[in-house]
Amino acid sequence: MMKNAFPYIGLGALLLFPLLGFSSYLMHIAILVIMWSVIGMAWNLLGGYCGQVSFGHAAFFGVGAYTAGMLYSKLGLSAWWGIPASIVVVTLVALVIGYICLRLRGPFFALATLSMGVILRITAENLVKITGGDIGIMIRERTWVEKIWYYYIILALAVMTFLVVKQVVGSKLGYYFVAIREDQDAAESLGIDTTYYKTVALCLSGVITGLAGAFYTNYMGYIDPKVVFALHDISIITIMVVMVGGAATFSGPVVGAVIMVLLAEMIRSIPKLGAAHHTFFGLLLIVIIIFLPNGIVGDFEKIRKLFRTRQEQP
Amino acid sequence: MKHRSLVLFMLLLLVLSPLLVAAADDFELTIPLPLTGKPAKFGEIMKHSYEIAVEEINAKGGVKGKKIVLGFEDSTGKPETARAIVEKLIDSKKQPIIVGEYTSACAKAVAAVAEERKTPYLIVASADDDITQNKYKYVFRQNQVNAHYGDAVVDFLKNVVKPKSIAILYESSAFGTSGADAMEKDAVKINAKVVLKEKFETGAIDFKPLLSKVKAEQPDVVYTVAYANEAQLIMKQAKELRVDARLYAGGAAGFAIPEFIKGAQDAAEFVISATLWSPQLKYEGAKEFADKYKAKYGEYPSYHGASAYAAMHVTADALNRAKGLSPDEIRDALKATDLKTAYGPVKFEDKEGYQNQNFHETLVIQVQKGEFENIWPQSQAGKAYIFPIPSWRERK
Repeated sequence: MMKNAFPYIGLGALLLFPLLGFSSYLMHIAILVIMWSVIGMAWNLLGGYCGQVSFGHAAFFGVGAYTAGMLYSKLGLSAWWGIPASIVVVTLVALVIGYICLRLRGPFFALATLSMGVILRITAENLVKITGGDIGIMIRERTWVEKIWYYYIILALAVMTFLVVKQVVGSKLGYYFVAIREDQDAAESLGIDTTYYKTVALCLSGVITGLAGAFYTNYMGYIDPKVVFALHDISIITIMVVMVGGAATFSGPVVGAVIMVLLAEMIRSIPKLGAAHHTFFGLLLIVIIIFLPNGIVGDFEKIRKLFRTRQEQP
Repeated sequence: MKHRSLVLFMLLLLVLSPLLVAAADDFELTIPLPLTGKPAKFGEIMKHSYEIAVEEINAKGGVKGKKIVLGFEDSTGKPETARAIVEKLIDSKKQPIIVGEYTSACAKAVAAVAEERKTPYLIVASADDDITQNKYKYVFRQNQVNAHYGDAVVDFLKNVVKPKSIAILYESSAFGTSGADAMEKDAVKINAKVVLKEKFETGAIDFKPLLSKVKAEQPDVVYTVAYANEAQLIMKQAKELRVDARLYAGGAAGFAIPEFIKGAQDAAEFVISATLWSPQLKYEGAKEFADKYKAKYGEYPSYHGASAYAAMHVTADALNRAKGLSPDEIRDALKATDLKTAYGPVKFEDKEGYQNQNFHETLVIQVQKGEFENIWPQSQAGKAYIFPIPSWRERK
């Protein structure tokens, strides 16, 4: 009973959150957390459920961001059109990437996607006439100064993503994904068209990531290839969000996003820690990954046990 | 269990502590700048310089009788982090003025926030032209725009070198691109043909294919825009390959910091570079600042340091002249700035399509015997320029 009500309580709390009158700084952090949850959930669909570890999700994020940016800079439309437009554009890009990369398995797939991210960055840097090159795209006036609308838009995106992931994982599609993750050859021999379903997973995952990218353009008001196609700042953080939270779990990416954004921000704000904050945060991540290899949500039982045994002692 | 909650509590306290310690009669000024990542070297130079300036200002009584308490936050060169820092400063800490940042991408993010939140923002060393072309009312820039970085170099080329051909190498970044584009336009004005314009990846290591292309074109001048390491590596590899040009020139940044000479060693000799400032400038306080910096940190500061140092004085000056400490009053005071600083005269003008932009003279420095020397314009020259330069073979 409680368990069924929990998502609604959570959603209610999130809906009411901006009405509590938090400062725009906290709202900014909340928006980033939700944005990273969306990207994490998207990656989880491909990496967690379907077992195809992508190191190049910045490719989709960047294409989404640039779709929005270029609609603004080239066609003079509102960058918000980038959200519907990026669905089409990112699907096409995902099909191309999938056509090339999905023939490969395991680490080779990971490396191929990694290079795809880099290739797209270099492409965006060099197509100066189309993308503006390294100068990037700057949106002169963002739609709103207040954070509240951005918050609700990204929250809506997150809820939608959550429902999509839940729907997909509970359906036949989800079972195919897991079958492919567990043993691709066995899945193939059972008659699952593995290439087709891997492509479906990649497209779904890519499109959702692209939506987050389009949102990023609207929200931040400035993009350049190094920011949105970043290997470390986007692709690797995406993987970390899922790994820390828990791969192939519903709430894992959300927990991971909270840790990767909120905790990182808190540690960075500790005075006098200076440049050492990266080390500090890195150590924390190492500890989580060593002791909770399935992520915080995946190994939640382990954490609970740890506390329970302690309590039993006098 | 008890132990654990104690540790947790301590951690929480540690995180919250910045909120707890704030004396009432101090003026807190937190500066966002990169202290980690690729631009960290520049961040460090600027951090040291802000500190020196604040020490001086506080010794003279601070601003409006309040002591400036300086803080720094690492933006790691990421726009969204820079934005988070500035949102926090404006919102939670009610800081009425923002100073700092380094990379153009971060400065753009900060400028957008500052404008939206109607809080003045003083840019110290971010060069990308369009930051001050957006009709922003609250964004001020003290350093010269990238389009003018090379002015003195172009003047030097026109009057002394008179090149017929020029090769432009630049790194793939907003700074590199706009610097290279400006030089391409200027080259036409001095009747030099751009025989090669090539981009390289930031963080590249092997420049030999690029330099081979340069060698094939035999340009009179090789003009390079690059951050720290690339500048050193290009010169070292040019020496190894003996790519001779009548002159090697750099577009500030990586060519104008002490690391360039340290890293490239004798390959740096005779290289000229655009710069915005040098310790030998005849501005009042320039030498004193440079000496103070050297005594403390063992090397002369680059123009980034001087700009940061002067920016703090400009800020203090504006704060002192402002009627009150509200953002709008500070903005008006900043707009009326007319100050002679160690960095040169500072005045925020609206012209050539820029707003609140300080236009100041740029310089040419040349590495002579392992030191940067001012060589151009002649009114500011500390030493005579060395030109023509010997070919690599003629050097020992």
